[in-house]
Parts: sequence; C-alpha cells; structure tokens
Amino acid sequence: MNSLRPTWERAVVSADSSQALVGGLSVDGLEVSYAGVPAVRGIGLEVPAGHAIGLIGPNGAGKSSALLGIMGAVPRSGSVRVAGQDVDGLSPEQVVRRGVSLVPEGRHVFTGLSVRDNLRLGGVGRRAKEGYTETLEYVLELFPILAEFNNRQAGLLSGGQQQQLAIGRALMADPDILMLDEPSLGLSPTAVDSVFDALNAIRSAGKAVLVVEQRAEFTVAFCEKTYVLHDGEITLELKPEDADNVEKLTEAYFG
Amino acid sequence: MSESINEKTIVNSKSLRWKLGPLWSLVSLLLLVYLVTVGNSYLGDSVSVQMQYALVNLVIVVALYMFIGTSGVLSFGHVAFVALGAWTVGLLTIDPTLKRNLLSDLFPFLFELQAPWLPAILIGGLVGGLLALIVGPVLMRLNGLQAGIATFALLLVVGQVLTYWSSIGPRSGQSMVGIPEVLDLQTTMLFALGAIIFAWLYQRTRPARLLRATREDGIAAAAAGINIVTQRTIAFALSGVVAGVAGGLFALTNRVVQASLFGIELTFITLAMLVLGGMLSLSGAVIGALVFSLIDLILVRFQNGLEIGSYVVSLPQGARPIILGVILVLMLIFRPSGLTGGREIVWPFRRTAPLPGVPPTNE
Amino acid sequence: MNQLVQSLVDAISAGATLGLAALSIGLVFGVIRLANFAAGEIITASGYSIIFTWQLGWYVAIPIAIIIGVILSLLMELGVFSRMRTATPATLLVASFGLSFLLQRVYELLFTNNVQTAAVAPELARTISVGGIRFQLLSLATIVIAGVILFALIQFLNKSIWGLQLQAAAADFRTARLVGIPASRVIGLSFALSGILAAAVAFVTTVQTGAVGPTFGVPIVILALIGAVIGGIDKISGALAGGFLVGFATSMLASWLPSDMSNFRDAYVFLLVIVVLIFRPSGLLVRGGTVRT
Repeated sequence: MNSLRPTWERAVVSADSSQALVGGLSVDGLEVSYAGVPAVRGIGLEVPAGHAIGLIGPNGAGKSSALLGIMGAVPRSGSVRVAGQDVDGLSPEQVVRRGVSLVPEGRHVFTGLSVRDNLRLGGVGRRAKEGYTETLEYVLELFPILAEFNNRQAGLLSGGQQQQLAIGRALMADPDILMLDEPSLGLSPTAVDSVFDALNAIRSAGKAVLVVEQRAEFTVAFCEKTYVLHDGEITLELKPEDADNVEKLTEAYFG
Repeated sequence: MSESINEKTIVNSKSLRWKLGPLWSLVSLLLLVYLVTVGNSYLGDSVSVQMQYALVNLVIVVALYMFIGTSGVLSFGHVAFVALGAWTVGLLTIDPTLKRNLLSDLFPFLFELQAPWLPAILIGGLVGGLLALIVGPVLMRLNGLQAGIATFALLLVVGQVLTYWSSIGPRSGQSMVGIPEVLDLQTTMLFALGAIIFAWLYQRTRPARLLRATREDGIAAAAAGINIVTQRTIAFALSGVVAGVAGGLFALTNRVVQASLFGIELTFITLAMLVLGGMLSLSGAVIGALVFSLIDLILVRFQNGLEIGSYVVSLPQGARPIILGVILVLMLIFRPSGLTGGREIVWPFRRTAPLPGVPPTNE
Repeated sequence: MNQLVQSLVDAISAGATLGLAALSIGLVFGVIRLANFAAGEIITASGYSIIFTWQLGWYVAIPIAIIIGVILSLLMELGVFSRMRTATPATLLVASFGLSFLLQRVYELLFTNNVQTAAVAPELARTISVGGIRFQLLSLATIVIAGVILFALIQFLNKSIWGLQLQAAAADFRTARLVGIPASRVIGLSFALSGILAAAVAFVTTVQTGAVGPTFGVPIVILALIGAVIGGIDKISGALAGGFLVGFATSMLASWLPSDMSNFRDAYVFLLVIVVLIFRPSGLLVRGGTVRT
C-alpha cells in the first residue's frame, strides 16, 4: 500500500467546517434521473475554498451524473449553491460564469484545434475579461508542457498531456470551484502524480476542488474528506487516515 | 424509493384482455375508416371524390408506416413505388388503340398488353414490391440521414426515368390519359381496409418483431443474430407492394398519370400525415391520414366560402397548403410523437402493453 | 482541347456554387445535426431581393440580399429549430422539409407563380478570351467569388474567437457548453453564416438565369444536400467537397453526355450518389466510423 503513496504527501489539515465557505460549493438534496431512472438520489456535500473533496464509488454509482447535475448539463432537482448563491435553472455556460469549471471524464479536449486555441476557448467562460493574461501565465507555469506544445494540435498530445490541457482549459475560466471527473483515467502513475501535484497547487491557491475518482486509495489520502457514492446515495465519509484501512475501503465499495 | 414496478407492464398474457387488445385496435381502425368514408359520401359528389383521394393517400401512409414505423429508418423514396404502381395500371388498362396514338414510342409489346383493372392493381403492387426488393439489400445498410438521402435519390432517379423514357410511358411533358372510370369509393375503401389489415398482420409476424428490436439498438440486435439488412428489406419490399397498390388506386382515381405527380410534394404530404398521426403505430398512420384529409376537406370548404351565421368566411387561394404546412411544423415542434404518441388504440383494454420494441431515444 | 478547358472551367464554377450551398448546409448541421432543406428558400429569398433591388446599384442590392439571407436564416432558427433541440436528425429533416414546403407556398402567394426577372450584372454575362480560349466571364467570376468567400470563412473559423467557438461546438457540443461557450449564440452564428453563403449562391445564380420563381432554390438545395451528405456532412470540409463534386459532375455530364442521353443526366448523378453512399456511408472525406445520426 505504501508504495502507492504519491509524492505530495503532506500533513493534511482536517476540514474545519467553520472555515469560510466563501467561494465554496454547497450541494443539498441533489437528484438526477434519466427517463425516470434515478442516478443520483439526493446527496449533499460541501467543498470549501482551499479544500479538496473526493467523491468515489464503483461504476454506475452516479458520480458523473452528480457533476453534470451540478453544472446544469442534465436536469436535476435539489439545491446547488456557489459562494452562497443559488445556481438553479442556469445553463452550463452560465454556471461556468458563476465560477464553476468541470474537467469532464475522458478529458474531451478539442482535438482538431491547437493547445493555444483550446486554452483560448477556455477563457470564453470567464466572468471578467481582465486578468486573462495573468491566468494564462499561471496555467502555463502550472503545466509547462502546454507552453512547449503551444502550437501543437491537441489530438497529438499524450493522455497525460491532454489531461493537463483539459485542466488548464478549465482554469482559464478563472473558476473558484474546479470539478474533475476521473482525472486519473487511462493515465500512467507518473502522469497521475503530476496531475495531483497540480491539483495540490490549485488547492493551495485557494480554489475549491471536487475530484471524482474510481480509485480509492490516493483520493482518500489526498482530499480532506472523501464521500463514497453507492447507487446514487452517499454511504460513507472517509478521512485521509482511512487511506490505509483496507477493511474500510472494501466496505465502501462492496458494503 | 421506486421499488414498485410500473403497473402498466404487469399483464397476464393469458388473459382475454391481453389477446383482444391488438384485435380491438385493428377493428377500431377499420370502423373509423368505414364511418369517415360513409359519412363523407353523404356530403355530395365533390366530397366523395376528395374522400377517394384521401383513401388513396391513406394507403400510401400505411405503406410508409410499415417500413418507417417498424424499422425506424426514414424513407423518402416510397412514392417511387407508388409511381410504378400507377404506371403499371395505366399501361395495362388504357385501351390499346389509345396507347398506339398517344404513347407512340412505347415498346411494341406494351401496346397489346392488357389486364382487367383489379388484377392490374395487384400487378402494380407487385411491380412496386419488386423494385423495393431489388434496391433493398443495397440501401438497407444505411441509417438515419444517409438512408433518407439515398431513398430520396431513388425517388429522383425513378422520377427522371419515368419522365424521359418514352418507351415505357408518355413523352416528357405529356401524360397517360384514358384510364377507365371503374373505381368507386366503396371499392377504394375496401382496398384501404385491406391495406390496414395487411399492415396489422405484418406487424405481428416474427420478422416485424425482429426489426423493431433493431430500432432501439442496432448493435445489440446484430449481436443477437438479427440480420438487419434482411429484416429491413422484407419490410421495405412489403411496404413497396402496398405503395404500388396505392399507385394503382391513384391511377384509377385520377385517370391521368404523369411523372410530376409522384415527386417531392406527394412525398411530403404523406410523410406529414404519418408524422401528424404518430410514426410509430398503425393507429398513428391511419389517424394521421384521416385527420389531415379532414382538415384539408374543411379548408377546401372555407376556400369556397363558408357561411357562418350571417358571415361568409373564405380563405384566400393558396392559403390551404400554407395552413397544412404550419400544422405539420407546429406538430413537429410541440408533439413530435404525433397525435397518438406512437401508441395503438387500446381503450377499453387499458392494460394492453405496447408493441414490443421501444421507441428510439432522442439524442 | 479548347472545349475541354472551357467545360472544366464551367464545371469548376458549378462545383464552386454548389460547394458554397453545401457548406451553408454543413455549417448548421455540424452544430445541431440539422440538415436544413429550407436553405433553398433562403436562397430564393435572397434571389428575389436581388431581382427587385438590382436597379438601385450593386452596392445596395448585394448588402440587402445578404441581410435578407441572414435574417430569414435566423428567423428559422428562432421560430422553429430552437424549439426542437431534442429531436432526432430525421425529425429535424422532416421539419425542415415542412418549412421549405411552407415557404414555397408563401412565395407563391406573395410573388405569384411566375418568375420575376431582371438583368443582374449583365457585364458578367459575356465571354472573354484568355490565351486563345474563350471563357464565360461569369464562370471565372464565380470561381473568384467563391474563392474569396472561402478564404474569408477559413480565416474567420481559425483565427477569430467566434470562429473557434463554432469549430469547438461542431466538434463536441456538450463539452463546448461545459467550457462556457454560449450554445444559442454559436448556433445563431452558424445560421447567420449560412444565410450569407446562401446570398452568395443566390447572386451567382441570378446573374446566370436572370429569373427567380418560388422554387428557385429547390433544385440547388437538393443537389447541395445530397452533395453534403456524400462528402461527409459531419465535417465542414466534407460538405464543401461533396457539394463541389456533385456540381462538378453535373456540369461535366451536361457538357459531354451525348444528346440522346442528356435527359437522363440528373438520373446518372443521383445513381452516382446512391453508389457513393453504399460504399462510403459516412462520406467520401470521412475516415472510418459512421456519422451518428
């Protein structure tokens, strides 16, 4: 188990809920169904600024649906608040402008366009036009590979590089809340490490990060709190201390 | 939360209700057509004639449903089979002397080739079905938009050939005239009823069920061993026969036949009728055709000036097709599943399950 | 030899015209999966506009035609297609069919069934001699116009932020929205561009025929739609290539088919289309996989 510990291991400050939810995401009673079949059955979670919250669970548990529901990309009921403000009834592109960005499952970079154009498009969803250059600089610092491959067609990048591009693209919108759907999917361990290194930096910069993952161990170790989603419902809450607890993890997945 | 099973899906398949449901939907449709026809025949000669055309259109719509409703694939080409049916009947029923004079470029054997009108209609159906059978294996591999375009191209090819190939018909710009007046409203209605029964019988066969399975998920169906092209071709060919019969009926109703009558306009009108009623059920096809024709009948009345109280309301010339077009577009926007929503008539047998095969999901 | 070159130029010109029309259809399809049969009626509207306003001078008539094309196109989106976002492509096609039918009858009502005529840009309707070969000036002009428009469009799509948004939306609509690209505006943009292209097609065709009737755009849109699909309507370049091919083939056949077969020229083109669709259902330019329709 220990060999799987990522390199950013640090003393995790436990999530203090009295810490300001300023700039945070607050979800309550979220429900998502497709043609009458429920995928998310009323979940609630909080992602405070400067924290990373994990959402894990087996396939089909409803994790992606939850993220899409928060973004307003699929019909949902329940309350979603961004920095205390309700985002009910907003379309995805409007939710982006409220400060929430989603890095979708499978990355979905615009393969026919260059890295630079992908980033440029990410900036379309910004709330304020000012600060564009600063954000771009920040992104390129965070992911130097994007600067190196600035003119390369996005479809030619490797999986890990595309993941970085997808995150960078999402960051270009200058969000307060960053959500990622299975960023480690299909990536080599080294690539996963660098992605989570970047997420660490993003968290430290004060953003709220919500990570959906299938792989439990390092998510639980990374995030201040990790929720376990099972068949549309949250069944368990895990702390980083639980990352080594094989029993508890197994229970989470098969309980 | 939702542990309860949707009540509608619980049926005792041995119950009488379950068996009678589909039969009732057939009988109710036949009754409907009968009543509408008889009702209109009392309204005068001109209405009777319009009713006859309406019944011909109904047969075309039933043919369209047999293919589109079962396979889920769009066809813009069925009017080509209608054209062939009409051509066949025209050639077989026009007096030989007339043929020699007016259709002088015909192949010589066609001059003497004659048949009584009833067999001629059936032969027309077979000719339509034959063309469908020939092009079927080739076109039926296509899906969605490509199928629509390919069948549209088929329509255009047939249209061009019939317009210009004077060895099998009139020269371009001329028409086939002199088709005898032997078809009355009653007989047309009988053909319409027959077409409905034929379609009803087909949709209960195994090939039809297999084809409906491919509607929802072609990949899964193919994996289950269903040969999609074969099943589609069967449906295509059978619907081609019905369309050909409709063409024969048209020829005997209109008594004048030319290629321009079988083009985009007729394709659009019949497709509109099907969409209006609901593409996915036989009831939809029949109801759509009847409702559309009734609305048209009413509009014609308005066009000629209708007295309401002390006012005379009349529509400007040319408003009729516009109104019909608007109705179709509105229907597609607000209720794309049509008046019947893709269901068959089931009252009073409310517990009947819909036909196996789920309507295709929208993206 | 001379005849070959002349017919080639004419064919390229015909291909260019139809390519623009197919592009007009392909731009919208790429974003919302709508094969707009009613695009023909936009061409007709622009055509009428040119015929009626030409005497005011080309610098008035052409902008007005463009504006009319754009407005009608946007009206179609606002009035009909924006309400059908969840419809299947087949349903959308039928709806556009209905809209087309509807508009043709409206034109009939407004402008009668007779064609309206005017001498549009008569300076272009003559032949010139280049290197000893006679060419139709209109053919050359059409090629130039199409080339310029195409160049401008490519620059717009690749360099401007709106063009990039359009490309992104066409490639992956859902992700584009998740990234913050405004769906309705991009769709509106595609319709507007479509309207501009329709006006261009209307212009070159009215110069050629000098007459516009209610069904002016119908034969154009039929060939353009067919061309777009066989080229691979899923990609913008595919639609353009397919439209060009159909226009080119039709023109060459017209020039070279022996006279007793010339009546069946269109039939050959349609047969060719069916053949292409059988062997390459997703289109000539698309590599592998099927278009999700």
